[in-house]
Amino acid sequence: MVDGDRRSRVLGLLIGSGDNPLCASRLCEVCAQVTGMSGAGIMLMSGDVPRGSLCTTDKVSDLIEQLQFLLGEGPCVDAYHQDWPVLEPDLANPQSSRWPAFAGQAAEAGVRAVFGFPLQVGSVRLGALNLYRDRPGPLTDDQHADALVLSDLVAQSVLVLQATAQPGALAAELEEGADLHFTVHQASGMVSVQLGVSVGQALIRLRAYAFSNGIPLSEVAESVITRTLRFAATGDGSYN
Amino acid sequence: MTMTREAKFARVVVELADTLVAGFDVVELLTVLADSCVEILDVGAAGLMLVSPDGSLRVMASSSEAMRLLELFELQAQEGPCLDCYRSGRRVVNQDLEAGNGRWPRFSSEALAAGFHSVHALPMRLRGTVIGALNLFHVEPGEMQQADIDSAQALADVATIAILQHRAALEAQVLNEQLHHALNSRVVIEQAKGIIADRQHLNMEQAFSTLRSYARSHNRPLTEAAEAVNDGSLSPSSFDHPPAKARSY
Repeated sequence: MVDGDRRSRVLGLLIGSGDNPLCASRLCEVCAQVTGMSGAGIMLMSGDVPRGSLCTTDKVSDLIEQLQFLLGEGPCVDAYHQDWPVLEPDLANPQSSRWPAFAGQAAEAGVRAVFGFPLQVGSVRLGALNLYRDRPGPLTDDQHADALVLSDLVAQSVLVLQATAQPGALAAELEEGADLHFTVHQASGMVSVQLGVSVGQALIRLRAYAFSNGIPLSEVAESVITRTLRFAATGDGSYN
Repeated sequence: MTMTREAKFARVVVELADTLVAGFDVVELLTVLADSCVEILDVGAAGLMLVSPDGSLRVMASSSEAMRLLELFELQAQEGPCLDCYRSGRRVVNQDLEAGNGRWPRFSSEALAAGFHSVHALPMRLRGTVIGALNLFHVEPGEMQQADIDSAQALADVATIAILQHRAALEAQVLNEQLHHALNSRVVIEQAKGIIADRQHLNMEQAFSTLRSYARSHNRPLTEAAEAVNDGSLSPSSFDHPPAKARSY
C-alpha cells in the first residue's frame, strides 16, 4: 500500500465524525483495530520516566502500562529512550532477557507479543505507543508500517488536543479516561511525612512495597490514602 | 570553466537544503536565497520580507547591506511591490519604475534614485498561507524572462516550505512543553495534598482546599505553593485551620 493512502485511511479513522470527535480513548481503539492487535495503550513520558497512561483498550494493556509505571522497564520505556521501535514477538521465550521483572508478569497475564513505538513530532518526544497480542509472532511489514503511521498521527493528535487546553492545565479530552496515577502521588506525599523522606524517595518505597508484596501500586496507594496502611521509619509498611 | 545556469541552480538548491540541517536559522536561509538570486538571475539586488506576528512586513535578508537598499525594503511596510504581492498572494513582476510612480510614489522615486529601473516581487506562499515576498531589483529597464521568474519562484518555494516546517516544529515543542508542565504541576499538587493530609489529619479534598486558600490569601500560584510544601520550605502547620469536617475520611 502506498504510504499516503495508509496515512489518509488512518487519519479518517482517527478524526471520526461529528458526534464521535477526536478523543484520547479512541486513539487507542484505532491503534489496536488498524494493526489487528489484541490491545493498545498510549504512555506519556516526562523527565525520562513513565508519567501515566492516556488510554488503554483493555485490562491487559492497562496492566502493561501499570507494570511499566511500577517497574520503570518495558517496551514503551525502551522505545522512548531509544527513539526506535522495540519489538518482542515472543515474550514468553524472549531472545534476550531485557525486562526481567516486566516480562514474567506480562506473560502471566497473557501477553505473548509486545511492541513499543516512540511518539514523537520532529525532535519532540512525548511517550510511546504500546501494542500487544495474545499469541506470539512478529508484526507483518504492513502492520509495522501501520504502527509507524499511527504513532506519528497519535503524537500529533495529542498535541492538537492539548492545544485547546487552558494555560497550565491538561486538556479535558486528554485527561478523560487517562490514568495519571494521581492517587500514587498523593500517597507519596503521605508516606514522605510518615518516613521523613522526600516525595521522590517515598515513591520508591511505595513501588518497592508493591513489587515485593505483589500488590498493584494503585491498591497500595489507596490503602495509604484510606489510612489502612502506614509506613513507619523502621521496617516496611504495616497495615493498621 | 563557467557553470551552466542549471548547474548553478542545482547547487543553490543543495545549499538551501544544507541550511535546513542542525542549527536551522531563518535569516541564514534567506540570506543564501537573496545572494543566489543575484548570482544566477542577473538581478542588481534581492531581498526577502516576512510578515511579523503583528501583521507588518519586515526585512529579513538582503543581498547587500547598502543603506539605500535596506531603506527601500523598509519603505515597503507602507507601500511597494512586496506589500501588494503579500496582500494579493500574487506575483508583481516587470514593474517599470518610471511608469509606476502613480502606484507607489515614494517607493518609486527612492528606487530610481538608488539606480534601479524595474522591480519584481514574488510571493512566499504554500497553499493558502502567504508568509512574505521575494523582492528583485533590476538596474537595466526591460522585462525579466519567464524562465528567470520561474527559477526565482522555485527558490522562494523551497525557502517557504523550510520556514513553515520550522515553525510547525517550534509549535510542537511549545505544546509539548505545555503538556509536560501541566502534567508536572498536577503531580506536584497531588504530592503536596498528601503531605498536608498526613500532617494535618485531613482527607484529600480538605487538604486541597487548605492549600488553595493558602495560595489565594498569599497571592501565590497554586503550583508554587505546592512545591514549597514538597521541599519543606512551607510548613502545612502554618496554614489556616481547615473546615470543621476534618478527619471525616
